Amino acid sequence: MTWRLAVLLLVLAPVVVWSHSKLDGRLGARADEEVLYLWTGNQVRVLFPGFEGLAADVYWLRTVQYFGGQKAFTQGRDFALLRPLIEITTTLDPRLEIAYRYGAVFLSESPPGGAGRPKEGIEVLEKGTRNLPGSWRLRQHLGFFHFLYLKDAHTAAAVLEEAAELPGAAFWLKTLAAELLSKGGDRAASREMWQRLHDQSEEGILRKNAEQQLAILDSLDRADQLAVVVEEFGRQRGRRPRDLEELRSSRLWRGPLEDLRGTPFRYDESSGQVSIARESLMWRPR
Amino acid sequence: MGGGLSRVVAVAANTFRETVRERVLYNLVFFAILMTLSGLLVGQLSIRQDEKVLKDIGLAAMDLFGTFIAVFIGVGLVSKEIERRSLYLLLAKPLSRGEFFLGKFAGLVFTLLVNLGVMTGGLYMTLVATGRGADPILLTAIYPIFLGLVIVVAFAMLFSTLTSSTLASILTVGVVVAGRFSDVVRNMRQVLPGAPAWLVDGLYAIIPDFRGLDFKSQVTYGDPVPGDVLLFVSLYAAAYVAVVLGLGLASFRSKDFQ
Repeated sequence: MTWRLAVLLLVLAPVVVWSHSKLDGRLGARADEEVLYLWTGNQVRVLFPGFEGLAADVYWLRTVQYFGGQKAFTQGRDFALLRPLIEITTTLDPRLEIAYRYGAVFLSESPPGGAGRPKEGIEVLEKGTRNLPGSWRLRQHLGFFHFLYLKDAHTAAAVLEEAAELPGAAFWLKTLAAELLSKGGDRAASREMWQRLHDQSEEGILRKNAEQQLAILDSLDRADQLAVVVEEFGRQRGRRPRDLEELRSSRLWRGPLEDLRGTPFRYDESSGQVSIARESLMWRPR
Repeated sequence: MGGGLSRVVAVAANTFRETVRERVLYNLVFFAILMTLSGLLVGQLSIRQDEKVLKDIGLAAMDLFGTFIAVFIGVGLVSKEIERRSLYLLLAKPLSRGEFFLGKFAGLVFTLLVNLGVMTGGLYMTLVATGRGADPILLTAIYPIFLGLVIVVAFAMLFSTLTSSTLASILTVGVVVAGRFSDVVRNMRQVLPGAPAWLVDGLYAIIPDFRGLDFKSQVTYGDPVPGDVLLFVSLYAAAYVAVVLGLGLASFRSKDFQ
């Protein structure tokens, strides 16, 4: 009897493994449908009295997994649970600075890199500055986000001024705030902010995002240079080039005609405008 | 006096051996697996938070496992002896009820101390193995966890002298949960302004303040618990345990075993 049972188990065990791999292959890579049963940190806190720190870690891991899963596997990414997950995490552990910083990027970045909801990202950072009033870095992020995502140079400068007053704050915050106020914000200011964020970030999502943003700015510079050459072409020939390839054959432009990720620029002959193509990974709404 | 103490120690040693025989320390195997898996996986799952997560998991496991042991073993310490009728044999010997009761208490407290000590070593080993420092500040949270567990044991023993094991377990868990919400009780009047102050203050004084013994979140961020706070925590726990144990002892002494 025992040996029959052993044989049965030996036969069935590989069937389980085989059928599971077949099922996986059939369904393909997928993100689990995420459900959130508790929507506020206070509800979760009631369930885990004395274990809020651990619960915050669990929710933070879930936030990162949810963001990654939505980004990688979901077609219509709406990141609906992202904000509540970040809220729960930061309510359970108000000192978890990384949740404010990364959470704000996850929320603010334009799709497909994020949820495209910068106002919510800024709200998360504002909560962070309330809970960690001594953190100049969080306040610096808040200032940067006001400028980079909401194009609000005035508020950005004011927040950076506040950050500069905090103990241990970077010396260049005051200068940057002054530049924002005097110039009203330009691409150079954006570049400086992304470069600062890149240099301050550890290896990972934040640094990669900053690299992507710097590449976008470089691509925009390249598009602007191309637009200048288009105008020069017009002055010389009395008409604009029919396409950007014509610039190259005219030898007025020897550089690439694509953005930094290799997608050809979009060119509008009637206006002479050169811009990042909508299908490019570098495209962002203005 | 010396003879009394040696009898208490003898009962305590016997209780410790008994808990070991009952495989209470097997939870350490689970803890070891938990810490090893955490050490291997957490670094890949969390973003630059592995050290904090490891500390959180380690401290929470100490608190949780310790509480389970304190409640369920604590409740059975006296009641089992009664159910097995071995208590009658023991009390027939030159051993007072007080010595028996305190010995049982001390034995389980020692078991919890050993358990917590091994877990602390495990947490430090995991931290070192994953390239983190053996942060001594953690001890300033582990010590209050231990004091909290001692209070739980005292309650479990008190309730076990008053009622059945099942009800005693439920009551002890109730006290643990209530104690973990002591901050809610303290701030009750903000939510219920009509609640009488004497009731709120009374409840807050009676319920064990496990919230006040919880420094886990603080130490995971590297903030040590100040020495004076640890002193007051020790005084509070010692006084609280003395009161609860005194009540338990009184109840045990007045119990009619006929």
